[in-house]
Amino acid sequence: MDPPPEQVNYICGDCGMENTLKPGDVIQCRECGYRILYKKRTRRIVQYEAR
Amino acid sequence: MGKQAMGNIAYNQLRRMDTLLYLLVYPQRPLLTTKTIELVGYDKLGAGQNATVAVMSYSGYDIADAIVMNKSSLDRGFGRCIVMKRYSVVLQKYENDTQDRILRLDRKGYGAKHMRILDDDGMASPWEIISPQDIYINKQSPAFTRGTRVPPSELPNIRYKSSKQTFKGPEGEYCVVDRVALYNDRHNNISIKFLIRHTRRPEVGDKFSSRHGQKGVCGTIIQQEDFPFSERGICPDLIMNPHGFPSRMTVGKMIELLGGKAGVSCGRFHYGSAFGEPSGHADTVEAMSEILVNKGFSYIGKDFLYSGITGCPLQAYIFMGPIYYQKLKHMVLDKMHARADGPRVLLTRQPTEGRARNGGLRVGEMERDCLIAYGASMLIFERLMISSDPFEVQVCRICGLLGYYNHHLKTGICSSCKKRDGMSTMKLPYACKLLIQELQSMNIVPRLKLAEA
Repeated sequence: MDPPPEQVNYICGDCGMENTLKPGDVIQCRECGYRILYKKRTRRIVQYEAR
Repeated sequence: MGKQAMGNIAYNQLRRMDTLLYLLVYPQRPLLTTKTIELVGYDKLGAGQNATVAVMSYSGYDIADAIVMNKSSLDRGFGRCIVMKRYSVVLQKYENDTQDRILRLDRKGYGAKHMRILDDDGMASPWEIISPQDIYINKQSPAFTRGTRVPPSELPNIRYKSSKQTFKGPEGEYCVVDRVALYNDRHNNISIKFLIRHTRRPEVGDKFSSRHGQKGVCGTIIQQEDFPFSERGICPDLIMNPHGFPSRMTVGKMIELLGGKAGVSCGRFHYGSAFGEPSGHADTVEAMSEILVNKGFSYIGKDFLYSGITGCPLQAYIFMGPIYYQKLKHMVLDKMHARADGPRVLLTRQPTEGRARNGGLRVGEMERDCLIAYGASMLIFERLMISSDPFEVQVCRICGLLGYYNHHLKTGICSSCKKRDGMSTMKLPYACKLLIQELQSMNIVPRLKLAEA
């Protein structure tokens, strides 16, 4: 069985604070009001190939 | 080749979100500069690498400006580049208050294989490996975007159609999602930008250039074991054909080689401009030759090389030394294209044009001339008619105009004579039929006279 979907955290482009978003939210950091959020790195294990 | 060269574009290059960004993995500062380059800080952002170049012929794959490259140099990172491409997705709001939405992940069912990289929010996460056909955002759009207003919360699932975005990168290549940014655009729509990174090593057909406009493509990549080497164990990174010099008269490149060689052996950066007089800043060829002699090289910059294949000394001394080489942004991976069958243009029924539309390769006027000159008329007939766009038309032998086929009466009918007899069936290219009709529409009457019918 799949785990139930978790809240996804986004990082503020300015202060680095973690934010959550709900549908209909304006994209804005709750701490500093910066309007660009970045997605966090995947939690899955990834293996890269160096060529 | 300034603008086309890859290198560092700015100090914040890895924090930017450009539509297309070409970066070099290991940029270097040129060994040979000029005072001007230093004054404007042109060497602060590297746009190439100091390659050890041997000016000689090798293997025949270096004819006509092609370059032979050392495979081990490529393994060590020579000419390796990063291509970052941005893909934007906007969650649109529509007239009837509906809007696009992102669906959470569906790990089962049809197409789940390509949803592998999606996170719990329906978007691909950074550092995830992405391959062609993978979905990087599971977006849905409302089926009807006009008419009565429907609040998005009341719109049932069936009223949405899928508009997920699939990644259309190079097949069999290794791309990584570098960054994902979310923001509101000026219409207050949620926008998501994906930056996708692809690291490439040079391959046959990639374009390189020195700073003297001596551009050329990589003709072949050869094992270092087969490359020539000097008694000091120096092995070139690339081999350039000497025929590039006489007609181009790029004396600067030869001076660069000399100056670069003197520079690496004595440990300082030389100036390589033409102003070697006492009032100028440049180092003279004489001065650089003297350094070379002091360091045990020949004063003309030529080295005694052994063949990597036979191990025997080469017949001639080889002009070898470092030259600053730039990788240009024209790469085969972005340009290669072939087509067997594919889409056609609706109007002319001929193959589409261009790589982006999976177009055909044109047998143009000059190719046609060659075939005519050779006398291959049946080949022209096959390529331009049978394999292209044959079309069966009804021709009236009386008036010479095109008629039509009546499927009830199973005969051809001439639409201008209004007669059934005197019709002939023939094949001609659809483009030809289109031309006849377009001429007719402009009040020019082309009439066909049939020789045998």
